[in-house]
Amino acid sequence: MSAAVKNLQKSFGSLHVLNDISFDLEDSSIVAILGPSGCGKTTLLNILSGIMPADAGSLAGFEGKRFSYCFQEPRLLGWLSAEDNLRFALSSLLQSNTNAITIERRIERFLRESGLFEFKEYKPNQLSGGMQKRLALARAFAFPSDILLLDEAFSSVDLRQKIDLMRAFLRLWTDEKPTVIIVSHDIHDALFLADQVVVLSQRPARVEGRLYIDLPHETRTFASAELSKYEITLYRLLGFDNLDSSF
Amino acid sequence: MPRYNNGIKPPSLLWRLIGVIAFVAMWQLTASLVKSSLILPSPWEAGAALLHLLRRAVFWTSVGGTILRVLEAFVISLCLGLASGSLSGFYPEVKAFMSPFITGIRATPVLALILLAMFWFPSTQVPVFSAVLMAFPVIYTSAETGVHAADQKLVQMSELFHVPTSTIFWRLRLPSALPYLFSGAKNALGLSWKVVVAGEVLAQPRMALGTGMQDARLTLETPTVFAWAITTILLCGLTEYFFGLLTTKFSSQFQQPQETPYERGEQ
Repeated sequence: MSAAVKNLQKSFGSLHVLNDISFDLEDSSIVAILGPSGCGKTTLLNILSGIMPADAGSLAGFEGKRFSYCFQEPRLLGWLSAEDNLRFALSSLLQSNTNAITIERRIERFLRESGLFEFKEYKPNQLSGGMQKRLALARAFAFPSDILLLDEAFSSVDLRQKIDLMRAFLRLWTDEKPTVIIVSHDIHDALFLADQVVVLSQRPARVEGRLYIDLPHETRTFASAELSKYEITLYRLLGFDNLDSSF
Repeated sequence: MPRYNNGIKPPSLLWRLIGVIAFVAMWQLTASLVKSSLILPSPWEAGAALLHLLRRAVFWTSVGGTILRVLEAFVISLCLGLASGSLSGFYPEVKAFMSPFITGIRATPVLALILLAMFWFPSTQVPVFSAVLMAFPVIYTSAETGVHAADQKLVQMSELFHVPTSTIFWRLRLPSALPYLFSGAKNALGLSWKVVVAGEVLAQPRMALGTGMQDARLTLETPTVFAWAITTILLCGLTEYFFGLLTTKFSSQFQQPQETPYERGEQ
């Protein structure tokens, strides 16, 4: 067991957002936090990354860990080129005595693996929406971390871009295999990428259930019979009990 | 504006020229109706007075003296405004401390300020002091606004990636603040010209456009007053134009390009 979240609670004034959230995560695993929009998933990520404190509960195994974050929106600097955006995010490495050449190699590697090397000179608004998301993903992976947090990183794009992003994600993850926590409201993000899915309820969020997916990522395809078993379980955990009923 | 939506630039230069010709024509028409060069000289009389001035050494020393005063006032306002405006942006206490001064300076009429400055400073520095007090709040406000111009989501992203404070300043905060700073500085430059010349008219320092203007008024040479005024307008316009060129060149590296060469979507 590498890290654990124990009985986390969070309220904003009278708004009770998180109610007793607990789960644990293995090293180098991908955990998906699945739940309806507005249930407090981003709040959970903010607590895990230290942006905001929890009202109650504890985190074990998160101390001293380095975090990287891929936000819901790309959050790129519009006046910097793709490679300069990565250089900006990695600038703290120079202070920790990492060789400048090593940093440059790292930037080149992650640009290549995200399929953006040809566009390294382009500024964000010269890239398509999907490419901007890929650049944000490359930045999150390029920043050396123990735990990578992804907030709805695959949302707001069409299906083809989503598949491209997921492929880029798996390519990048395979490289150094950091522990990843993906927050999403989309069941497919969890099915295709996660080793463990933590399903949250409506606000105030509590853990409805946890599901371990023991399938290698490369075998997870659309309409795969094995994956659909997990899918049905996830739908049930999300509260869709009667899947056969018509609209 | 649907007339120029097909990539053709509007003929702005031509329309500017037409505007100038219309203005001069109206001036000429009014001057012909007034029929007194003492009250309103014609454009030709003002032009002739300007040509006459151009041949006199005192004109060039006056131009030089005024330009130096404008630059002095502008640089001092820029330094004071940037320093205090940035501090106010970062520290609410400094903002609260500065607030009565800024409100007081803003509410003071320019002429009252010049008259008071005449008690405190030698005539050469009266225009500079007055212009600093008028231009400084403009730069102060733009610097203070500029500090908050950086997108907080980008600041949060930078902090999560532990980007050093100096890098955040140079690569995020400064580029976000530049449009505000340039706009404030351009306004302050124009204001410096107006207040310096007004200060010179009242304080009468040696080698000054305003002094030339006042001397011409005292000797009832209205065309020469117009010639000095035209010189002031042209110099003010030219410095603002060159400052604009400088800032455009400097800020172009921080601007987001308008074209989107890659528009076909994902590959």
